[in-house]
Amino acid sequence: MTMVEYFSFLPYGKYAFYVWLAYGISALTVITLFINAKRNHKRTILSLKNKFSINQ
Amino acid sequence: MWKWIQRQASPKVFYGTCSRLTPWFFWPFISLLLVGLYWSLVVSPADYQQGDGYRIIFIHVPSAILSMMIYAIMAIAGGIGLIWQIKMAEVVAKVSAPIGAAFTIIALTSGAVWGKPMWGAWWVWDARLTSELILLFLYLAYMSLNSAFDNPRTAAKSSSILAIVGLINLPIIHYSVKWWNTLHQGYSVGTGGLKDPDMQIALAIMFLASIFLYALLVSIKARTEVLIREQNSRWVKEEVSGVVL
Repeated sequence: MTMVEYFSFLPYGKYAFYVWLAYGISALTVITLFINAKRNHKRTILSLKNKFSINQ
Repeated sequence: MWKWIQRQASPKVFYGTCSRLTPWFFWPFISLLLVGLYWSLVVSPADYQQGDGYRIIFIHVPSAILSMMIYAIMAIAGGIGLIWQIKMAEVVAKVSAPIGAAFTIIALTSGAVWGKPMWGAWWVWDARLTSELILLFLYLAYMSLNSAFDNPRTAAKSSSILAIVGLINLPIIHYSVKWWNTLHQGYSVGTGGLKDPDMQIALAIMFLASIFLYALLVSIKARTEVLIREQNSRWVKEEVSGVVL
């Protein structure tokens, strides 16, 4: 059984595998970008907090 | 308005503007995304030739347009940084690059996944696909050149020149389906490629959502970059000590 047949129970039948794969990859990329941006910002603030408390 | 833009050249003012604007980008993005997905996946009818397979268009076209738009913004901001020595323009250019690269990757992968059922191949060396791949390489070149220097000003200068030279690729991508005989289909927007009003509305909403996503990511990443660049100034010290994590 191919992947296309396996996923054909989902909406969009014979195209289900391709449509959901494309939407899935995009969602993953966007979520990674967002979490990464948030985490970098937090880390920068934390390391600057450390730096300033050492200097005082 | 012009005065307001001029004031953004100050790192402290720009940081404050980004902080204030972040929720104004986040919530419209989420609501437009939800409505857009509903319109793309439920409301829009199936295509008469491509069936339901065409639904990939609602992420493919917005991300492809954004990949080019962000490149143009990056090059223009880089140019503003070069000509008027505005450091905040350099910041916008620098943080735009990884976002633009991500949109290019989404455009390329969603295109490949669309190509497989429609053309029978994940990838062909067609003019549209090849020029879009070159765009991805331009983003990667910009990012590696930018990180190759210790001094952020020197990095911004050399990478901005690269970005401006790379602008030549944008019209090549846009007109590639006209100039060459490509396997890639012609224009979907503005020429009657997409005729159903529901399809057009879905595409427009997804495009708006993508713009808000870009603005949201810039407003977060630019703040991080400003903090790093201005870490020796007093306002950063006050700002950072005021934040409770």
